[in-house]
Amino acid sequence: MAEIIINARGLQCPGPIVQLFNQSKQAGSGDVIKIEVTDHGFTKDVQAWCKKTGNELVELLDQGGVIYATIRKC
Amino acid sequence: MEKVRLVVIGGVAAGTKAASKARREHPDWEVLVITRDKDISYAGCGLPYFLSGVIKERKELVVRGPQEFLDDQNIIVLTQSEALSIDPTQKKLTFRELATNQIHTISYDHLVLATGASPVLPPLPGIELGNIYPLRTIENAEDIRSLLDKGAVKEAVVVGAGFVGLEAAENLALKGIRVTVVEMAPLVLPGYDEEMSQYVRNYLEEKGMEIRTGARVRGFTGNLDGKVCEVQLENEAIPAQLVIWAGGVKPNVALACASGLKLGPTGAIAVNEYQESSIQGIYAVGDCAENTHLITGDGVWCPMGSTSNKTGRIAGLNIGRQDQVDALPGVLGTSVIKLFELHAGRTGLTEEQAKAKGYNVVSTIVPANDKAHYYPGYQQIITKLIADRTSGRVLGVQVVGEGVVDKPVDIVATLISLGGNLEQLSRLDLAYAPPFSMAISSTILAAHVLRNKIQGKFVGVNPGELGVILAKGDAVILDVRTEAENFIRAIPGSLNIPFNELVLRYQEIPQNKKLIVVCKVGKRAYLTLDKLRSLGFTDLAILEGGLEAYPYEVI
Repeated sequence: MAEIIINARGLQCPGPIVQLFNQSKQAGSGDVIKIEVTDHGFTKDVQAWCKKTGNELVELLDQGGVIYATIRKC
Repeated sequence: MEKVRLVVIGGVAAGTKAASKARREHPDWEVLVITRDKDISYAGCGLPYFLSGVIKERKELVVRGPQEFLDDQNIIVLTQSEALSIDPTQKKLTFRELATNQIHTISYDHLVLATGASPVLPPLPGIELGNIYPLRTIENAEDIRSLLDKGAVKEAVVVGAGFVGLEAAENLALKGIRVTVVEMAPLVLPGYDEEMSQYVRNYLEEKGMEIRTGARVRGFTGNLDGKVCEVQLENEAIPAQLVIWAGGVKPNVALACASGLKLGPTGAIAVNEYQESSIQGIYAVGDCAENTHLITGDGVWCPMGSTSNKTGRIAGLNIGRQDQVDALPGVLGTSVIKLFELHAGRTGLTEEQAKAKGYNVVSTIVPANDKAHYYPGYQQIITKLIADRTSGRVLGVQVVGEGVVDKPVDIVATLISLGGNLEQLSRLDLAYAPPFSMAISSTILAAHVLRNKIQGKFVGVNPGELGVILAKGDAVILDVRTEAENFIRAIPGSLNIPFNELVLRYQEIPQNKKLIVVCKVGKRAYLTLDKLRSLGFTDLAILEGGLEAYPYEVI
């Protein structure tokens, strides 16, 4: 299983979610994507995205203004 | 020589303010406050926060007691004393001491009525059951809190989705109680247009609150202990061990009416801009008095703590003088509310109110940030700005979001009070640094957008109108956001062609249809218009506020 790390800090919407969307197309089933984002709107977006795709949102943290999301592709 | 005597009837915000101000103006007067309540000068607006313990102590709510008034200001306060009648010709007042039932008649030289407003509890079946409370006095708040602290409440119903109702509901939800808000009107939160109100409602529902609008309470069912256990609506029964009745208040005008004071069109006591009633020398302040709307000049009733304090001050200044030293020309219905992390503020007329008053109304909805987008902790706020197309006069604003909303509302309230127009709003020199604002503040941005709209640079469609336009079948929604954004959240039936793929893919767009261009906040849609025009499309509009401000069904 591969682990993909995306640093989307400093990017405004839709930057982070577009990166996640594109990277996930490359990823295989079971791969883990870790993404770091500073855009506040991402929290809601990543939850909605996981719900729609069926990917698992393993972790979602908001620490010091940075959102850390870990997703396992289904 | 006997002292000049001022009597103030009522002792919460406006009454004590009037008494204090008059005392400062006239150190030689005798100032007497008579109130039915046990407490005086308490923070009525703080009661919802006492329920959850955000405000912990009773003494935090009671600003000062009778002894402090006497010691600090030489103001005599008679609590639990109910004014029974006034004789304006003889300048006499009769009141009863509730504890002893003794009746006294005293003379006065000057009189201020600050009789407040009271909750209206309709005579519904079961209204006499236990654990049904209004939330108007400290006693109410203490009763409810002790019930909560006992753990006796798992489910609660709040009747009324005005300020107090929603704040009470929020504070109950913060205690982990399952709350249902029941509102007779079709919308929650008065003073907001439909689409803005819907936005607030969505937020509350996402927080787990149940909301019923256009719903009437038919009655209450009790258990064997005589406590409420169920609230009956037309087609539904909602289990509840606590009911807070926040279904509206009425001005207390019985004493005023019986004394011959005129009421205004709203049913509150008519006063002039000096707070003087129709009987010379008798003043009325706070929730029992009518207000004048600054824009329309109509009589309105805005029973708000902010207005109460102002009217008390004005009466205290003017009473007992031949010249009038200060006046309150009117109010704008300015208000702000916090519900969980959501803030909502408004001032002036709503779009609907402005239309009803015959203005040539134009409005826009603009999502923006409360701080620079690169400064940590910035939040989105959505501004709906309303103006008169002909004169450019600013008529109102509504701002909702998790960011700072009181600042923009106050900016617009100030501008409207000074009779300002959109042009002036867009040119204000406002405070800016990244932790405080965007370089072009959200309010100025909204003014720019609205000026662009008036100048014909774009046609906007309000989210509430979208359904009507689509139902006609001659319009298509063109979503110009990225594929990823569209995937996450989109308006049903929209065609997604990202902004930067338009030139390649424009042939997918149906010809001879009205195009409603949609993006996240409206900016990309606006920037797309030129490109679409150059590709031969002519009937173009953008969705005001984009997906961010769209409060209806998304997929």
